[in-house]
Amino acid sequence: MIFFLTMMIDSYFSSLRWQDIADIALNSYILFRLFVLFRGTNVLRIITGMAIIWLMQWIAAAIGLIITIWVLQALTAVTALIIIIVFRNEIRRVLQTKNIRALLWDIPRPTVSTTVGIVAETAFELAQKRIGALMIFPVREDLSNAIHSGIAWDGLVSREMLLNIFWKSAPVHDGACVIHGKRVTQVGCILPLSLQKKLPSHYGTRHRAALGLSEQTDALVVVISEERGAVLVANHGTISRIRNETELVRLMDKRGGLQKKSVFFKKERWQLTLAAIVSVLLITGIWFNFTGGLDTIKTIEAPIEYMDRNPELEILNTSVVAVKLQLSGSDTLIKALQPDSVGVRLDLSEALEGANSFTLTEQNIKLPPGIVLKKMEPSVVEVMLDIIVTKELPIQVDWVGQMPPGLILKEATTKPQKIRVKGGKQVLKSILTLYTEQVSLNNISKSGKLTATLAINPALLAPVSPSENKVTVIYTVAKRK
Amino acid sequence: MLTKQSLILVLFILSLTLCFSLAIAKDNDTASAMPSSVLVNASTCEKIEMLAPVNQAAVFSVKKEQVFCLTTFNPVPQQTYVYHTWFRRDKLIKIKRLPLNPPRWTTFSSIQLRQADKGPWFIEINDRKGHLLKTLRFSLTE
Repeated sequence: MIFFLTMMIDSYFSSLRWQDIADIALNSYILFRLFVLFRGTNVLRIITGMAIIWLMQWIAAAIGLIITIWVLQALTAVTALIIIIVFRNEIRRVLQTKNIRALLWDIPRPTVSTTVGIVAETAFELAQKRIGALMIFPVREDLSNAIHSGIAWDGLVSREMLLNIFWKSAPVHDGACVIHGKRVTQVGCILPLSLQKKLPSHYGTRHRAALGLSEQTDALVVVISEERGAVLVANHGTISRIRNETELVRLMDKRGGLQKKSVFFKKERWQLTLAAIVSVLLITGIWFNFTGGLDTIKTIEAPIEYMDRNPELEILNTSVVAVKLQLSGSDTLIKALQPDSVGVRLDLSEALEGANSFTLTEQNIKLPPGIVLKKMEPSVVEVMLDIIVTKELPIQVDWVGQMPPGLILKEATTKPQKIRVKGGKQVLKSILTLYTEQVSLNNISKSGKLTATLAINPALLAPVSPSENKVTVIYTVAKRK
Repeated sequence: MLTKQSLILVLFILSLTLCFSLAIAKDNDTASAMPSSVLVNASTCEKIEMLAPVNQAAVFSVKKEQVFCLTTFNPVPQQTYVYHTWFRRDKLIKIKRLPLNPPRWTTFSSIQLRQADKGPWFIEINDRKGHLLKTLRFSLTE
């Protein structure tokens, strides 16, 4: 069993062409790009819904639920309309805002609104408004021994909340707030003051408190100077001024926030990697579903198309008109096979006047991808070619029926009496006369004239002047003696 | 060395050969110079009475059993012959060689008709050298 399975997989992969691999890779990438471009929108959810409908339809068809199939088919039929209507905003947004590079290559990063970002932004807003503040960011060490009188808060960090905490009229504005992760855990905290004596004179209690905590713990403390409107960071017993938000974000990321951000990007990387793997697996699955198996065989008759014939030569006769092709492929591909997608082409560029014999090979057969030729019959085609010449031939009426009793058709001539025709040299060699189509005598009782059409096989002969395919017959009727 | 008798014999043979060649050449010249027979009448008919065609026609019923091709030559300068070649739908059916005798001559050929013979026919009348003198066309119907 395992051996058989291994053989089957081996045979599958050995029959893979480079085009198949390119096919899978290209479609996997398209699917992945669709995910990247539409993630975070309703598109993916709706596509998933449609996939489920399609799966349900397939299951319903497999077990024969007639009404369910009918309903699901109706739903699938309006899918295109649904896609255009439901997705119109998303499609417009993607097409309008993205350039070619963004469509094909870039991976859009969602705007990450982290705690660090909010804190940095708020810190500089506080500084601008000359509102003093102290914000503590614990790293690893427990701060319970270092800070006192803290009031439990437990609020999600936001600009508005931070502004409110440090608003001059707020009861807790003088103390420090502790920000743990995304939440403000305590407010109104009293910090130990630094005992350093060489601090600049303009440093007040808030600066000393920040420095004091940073000396005793590994916490990072952001200080907003009320008097100078400056933002400072106390870290490992040192205090330094921060010029802008970016610098503050970088510093905070370096200490603690970075970990959170990297977790976020790591998560995104994983999400994209997973999407890429799913895309490849899905397309590979679909590909194998379409092409796998090669278990269905179908025989079709494909007409032979003769190409690159010398214009001076005419095909006089061929041994076969069509070739029977036994084709193999997956059930899906065989069912979808259209007769005009299969063709047999024969190159006559080197054919000569007379009989020519050609052996058909796989190169003569045009097949859609995924379809394999198992057998063809016949494999040899005889083609008789002839040189085109012209010849003047007399015309004769092909009379049928009977004249009325007592009358005879004494004489009949045609106008013109001869016409020039073109056709194969060999064909014309054996043709001595051009006959009209059958003309009935039954209604002829007196002399007159009529028009008759020439009975010419257009595959073999043609009048040089196309208008000369009809002649006038002038006839004389006489009484029988 | 050739003897006198042998020399006379060789000269005699050479003279005979020369005379014979000249006689043949003269005969050929006479033949090509002679006026050829002239076809004055050719027709297809149901029967022939007193060497004249009866019910001359372009369509015959196969019920009539026979069709004739009658040709009259005048003059006929010397004894010769003509060919009546019968075709049905371009397929050769019959060739009839007919002698002509001076000074004028009427001759004919015919075919027996069968149901299977229905269709267009033609007869080519050619002289001894194969020159086409006339083509007669007719049909056999029910």
